[in-house]
Amino acid sequence: MSRPELAGVAMWILGGSSVVAAWRVFRTDSMVRAAYWLLASFVAVGMVMVLLQARFLGLVLVLMMAGEMTIMAAFMVMFMMNPAGLNPMSMVHQHTTAKVAGVVAFAGLAFVGVAADFPDRPVDAASEPTAELGEELLGDSMLIFETAGVTLLATMIGAIAIAGKRGRFGNAQEGSAPPPVDPDAPAGPDARPSPMHGGHGGMHH
Amino acid sequence: MELQLLLVVSAALFGIGVYGALSQQTFVMIMMGIELMLNGAMLAAVALWAMSGAGAPKGQLLTVIVMTVMAVEAALGFALVIGIFRTRQADMTEMLEQLKG
Amino acid sequence: MATDADRDVDGIDEDAVSWSDPLPAVLLVGAVLVAGAYATSVLDTAAAHLVAGRRLRLGELVLGPWREAALLAHMRRSTTERPDVQTWALAPALLAGMAAVAVATVPLAPGVAVADVADGIVLFGAAMALVMVGVYLHGWSSNSVFPLVGGYRFVALALSYEMPLALVLIAAALPAESLSVGAIVESQQGLWNVVRQPLGLPLFLVAGMGLASWGPLGMSDGTDLAGGTSAESSGGARLVWALARRFVLVAVAVTGAAVFLGGWHGPVLAGGLWMALKTLVLLAVLVGVGHRVARIRLERFVVVAWAVLIPLALIDVFVSGALVL
Repeated sequence: MSRPELAGVAMWILGGSSVVAAWRVFRTDSMVRAAYWLLASFVAVGMVMVLLQARFLGLVLVLMMAGEMTIMAAFMVMFMMNPAGLNPMSMVHQHTTAKVAGVVAFAGLAFVGVAADFPDRPVDAASEPTAELGEELLGDSMLIFETAGVTLLATMIGAIAIAGKRGRFGNAQEGSAPPPVDPDAPAGPDARPSPMHGGHGGMHH
Repeated sequence: MELQLLLVVSAALFGIGVYGALSQQTFVMIMMGIELMLNGAMLAAVALWAMSGAGAPKGQLLTVIVMTVMAVEAALGFALVIGIFRTRQADMTEMLEQLKG
Repeated sequence: MATDADRDVDGIDEDAVSWSDPLPAVLLVGAVLVAGAYATSVLDTAAAHLVAGRRLRLGELVLGPWREAALLAHMRRSTTERPDVQTWALAPALLAGMAAVAVATVPLAPGVAVADVADGIVLFGAAMALVMVGVYLHGWSSNSVFPLVGGYRFVALALSYEMPLALVLIAAALPAESLSVGAIVESQQGLWNVVRQPLGLPLFLVAGMGLASWGPLGMSDGTDLAGGTSAESSGGARLVWALARRFVLVAVAVTGAAVFLGGWHGPVLAGGLWMALKTLVLLAVLVGVGHRVARIRLERFVVVAWAVLIPLALIDVFVSGALVL
């Protein structure tokens, strides 16, 4: 098989597995598995992007999502106290509505994708998309770069202000206490972790 | 042909994301649904850039923006979940039926 | 991954072995990883003896790793209550695979690279980000306390070293004006990056030590955690995990040698020999530090990483950028 043919076959396989992995996200009973199925979906899409010549973006997607999905998995275990998925997990609401909405969204978008007549102008194999992306991002006006940078800075400050117990001042751990086992009891320095708590998920500092 | 395939795949990713975001009760799982929608959008953007847009340099910027949106969504999502968990010990939507603090 | 991104580095003649063909590629990368892992174990034993002031016996040094491996391979495997068997098996494979991806992007001698792709340094970063997933999965899937704590520790460690790692690699790519590892090696003709960017290599080695969870940064599998993520694995599973962790260390050393120590550049000796020598030196440094420096507390390292290492890495990028201009 020639290189382009191989790339075509790989694209079919990767595209298919990204959809299967995405479906598994909501069909597994373990939080960590759900997070990593989502990562698998992202990695498959990232590799499709590499095959489509958007090499830098595809690899950066994998790099970014590996970190983000691990954080998601850690958060899930922290909140749910269900580390290995031993408790069956099905927490859904408005299931029928959600299914209908999902199918309608898929059908609508897929119809547009198949029916619309897109011009056939493939990317030039000799071009250097990474260099072009760099020129676009950091070239004359740097508009996108600046906007994204400022947005991310604002997000960082906002997220820390919301999440930190003391806002963005002081050590994040200062005066922090584990949430009480009894949901009605107030959280405070006196709340002691129960043995169950300290065991599996709670990473107390 | 390949373009159509990739667009159908991206539509499927988006559809699964819509289903997840609407059906899940846990905040983090809802975020996963949203990320899947963005994943589909990104795939469609890159597929159209590579196969129908002749690889115009500006096309890749759309993907950069989607990635920024993902980062913002994740950071703020986690921050809100932590904030809510701190004050209400809630990690599911049904626990927040009243929005009073 | 290696579609048409391969570039012939400097026009090798067509009759020579094409290292991007499947069989030579697998053999080359496998040989580098296995030889490097063996060298790591030998160096580890040697460093332990040297530090303790014991006399070195050659037989023990050369055969020790094999004896240990044979012992582990014959040992009975234990298991835990309801582990996640698939991800437990996947974790070492993921580590080994990502180490192989990293080695594949590095030219080991002039023209000998499995896939010197145009975005090699980004590929290295992505592969090393997936190492974090592998270690976390290894800790999580045994469904046991100490491994899970080890997994968490590694995530906290990884999120801290990842930024300095990415920044020093970007700085190294600046003089080459390319993200390909081959171009970075070529840009070091006459002046190695370790001299041009003195901050680069130390920061890279700190991050690399964290990546392989080795020595002072041995968070995931530390003895203070009863073995951490490998506390529940024994026998063959433990052997495979130990190998996979050494593979990551080797990948760090190979990449460091290529990106900061000038790769195959060097007088008199052949390029491949220089590369092997430099890799061994970096391995010796990485392994030796583990016997001289005590394990650092994770909280302290996280603070140092964000408050000291990232600013240092930024200075590295700014200075390197200014020098290019």
